[in-house]
Amino acid sequence: MINLATKDIAHSWLKFVITAMGVGMLLGIVLIMIGVYRGMVIDAQVLLDDIGADMWVVQENTLGPFAESSRIHEDLKNTLRATVDIDKTAALAFLNLQVRTPDGVMKRVYSVGYDPHGDISAINPKRLVAGRTLEKSHYEIVVSQKLGFKLGDKIKLGRNIYTVVGITKGAVSSGGDPAIFLSLKDAQELQFLYSNARIHNDRARGLKVDADNHLVNAIVATLKPGSDPDAVAEDIRRWKHLSVYTAAQERDVLTKNVIETASKQIGMFTVILIGVSTIIIALIIYTMTLEKIKEISIMKLVGLPNWMITKMITQETLTLGVLAFIFGNLFAHAIWDKFPKRVVLEVPDAWALFGIVLIASVLASLFGVYKAIKADPRAAIGG
Amino acid sequence: MTNEVGIKVENLTKIFGSGDSEVRVLENASLEVKKGEFAALVAPSGAGKTTLLMMLGCVTEPTSGKIWLGDELVWDEDHWSIPDTRRIRREKIGFIFQAHYLIPFLNIVENVKLIPLTNGWPDKKADKKAMELLEYFDIADKRDAMPSQLSGGQNQRAAIARALSNEPQIILADEPTAALDMQRAVNVVKMLRKIVEEQNVAIIMVTHDERLLPYCDKILSIENRKVVTTTQDAHLIV
Repeated sequence: MINLATKDIAHSWLKFVITAMGVGMLLGIVLIMIGVYRGMVIDAQVLLDDIGADMWVVQENTLGPFAESSRIHEDLKNTLRATVDIDKTAALAFLNLQVRTPDGVMKRVYSVGYDPHGDISAINPKRLVAGRTLEKSHYEIVVSQKLGFKLGDKIKLGRNIYTVVGITKGAVSSGGDPAIFLSLKDAQELQFLYSNARIHNDRARGLKVDADNHLVNAIVATLKPGSDPDAVAEDIRRWKHLSVYTAAQERDVLTKNVIETASKQIGMFTVILIGVSTIIIALIIYTMTLEKIKEISIMKLVGLPNWMITKMITQETLTLGVLAFIFGNLFAHAIWDKFPKRVVLEVPDAWALFGIVLIASVLASLFGVYKAIKADPRAAIGG
Repeated sequence: MTNEVGIKVENLTKIFGSGDSEVRVLENASLEVKKGEFAALVAPSGAGKTTLLMMLGCVTEPTSGKIWLGDELVWDEDHWSIPDTRRIRREKIGFIFQAHYLIPFLNIVENVKLIPLTNGWPDKKADKKAMELLEYFDIADKRDAMPSQLSGGQNQRAAIARALSNEPQIILADEPTAALDMQRAVNVVKMLRKIVEEQNVAIIMVTHDERLLPYCDKILSIENRKVVTTTQDAHLIV
């Protein structure tokens, strides 16, 4: 039996392929949107995983340090370390900054301050692509390679100038901004010390200038083997004035409280795009059917059964969907790394989209099938 | 010619619309074309030639009357007496139109063998039949060409080959020569004449060209919404 769909596609293959490429680009954008969501989820957990703490201690009644502002005293790390089940502790300071890149562009970065001589490092050594981690208590900085700095470059932040001693790849904040690493002391100065002008002004106003730069945003801790994180967290909470989150709870805070709205937004866009793709496929198939309505009328006039015509339209729609899906994947894989934030393309997402495309294609073909079934065979001869 | 019925119509009436907009195209019209008979259907424009052809082809529903195709009653007063009109069309009838109306995305041989394949013929048999017909119409070398690559005359011959591919008992031709010059028109009609004699089919050909009438055995004309039959001896002319 002659496959009418194959013959029709072969007859106008260029038009068909270009149409599939157009729809494919739309599906590629859908894949990218899903990839952006996946990237957000991963980005949100990068610092969490790199620091590798079992417990996050922050200001009481806050979801800090990522979801809410949190300020606690640095020396709490010593108190915590004295707790029975706690192995190591570290004080951390987080701050959003604007850095002028070597290209002269101001870029938003996420500064992470940690004690280079402490027990826990905020830098995952696997992310270092050049140089080293921090070794001095002042004026050293480790930057993300996305910023374009080289080892030895000087960066002015606040009152001081910092030397680039290390370059990382993939270290980002929960919002996807490139991370930079400073010593805790430098980070505290940047965050908590007033500028000279501010101090001068405050003195002129008769105010007491007493900035406390021994504050941090969070204290992280690792536990001794065999300890129960929930039990330890509950013990620390009993001290009052502190909120404590286990690593799992902090992960929940990041994925639910920090990126939930953004992910819902992306989800909405993805659903709309899939809907738009379905409508576009339906319109294309409808138009393609209208273009063939004379031939369809002839087929009906000479006696071809409806199922052959329906099969032709459905097969063409499915072929368009499959081709568009392939082009969409190629397109997504060609452009994903051009996006400023992390895009993660995962095979299960692609297969899920493939299923949706197949269902959408079958639904879309119904318009064409309806038109074909309604076609009057007399239209073939204009009578 | 045999005495077997090719097409038989009794008291066929077709009314379009109703009330003030009612148009009576045919009223109690009757005709008969035997197998092996070539009939021309002539009438002024708008007299209902194509409508009659479409009713005979089981495409348009008559208002009343009876239609037989071969020995099968297909329309009985107010309903089709066959479950599937399209099956009748693809098994018993061959259509030829003014334009070739070949399917543009199928090549010539595929166009010709599409209906036999749909009727369940094995591919080899359908291919053999299609090639026989293409050879008969002298376009076998164009078997793999697309309709857009052939001349009007070659396409019309391919269309006639398609009409014959299902070995029909009846051929309905709606002005098949209208788009051709006189020489080609005569060639097409001679071809149909030959088919009538060799394959014992009944042909009704709608035409406006009186120069083609001598090739026909019968002339059916629509006058006052009835079909008037005039018989002549076409064999002497050909």
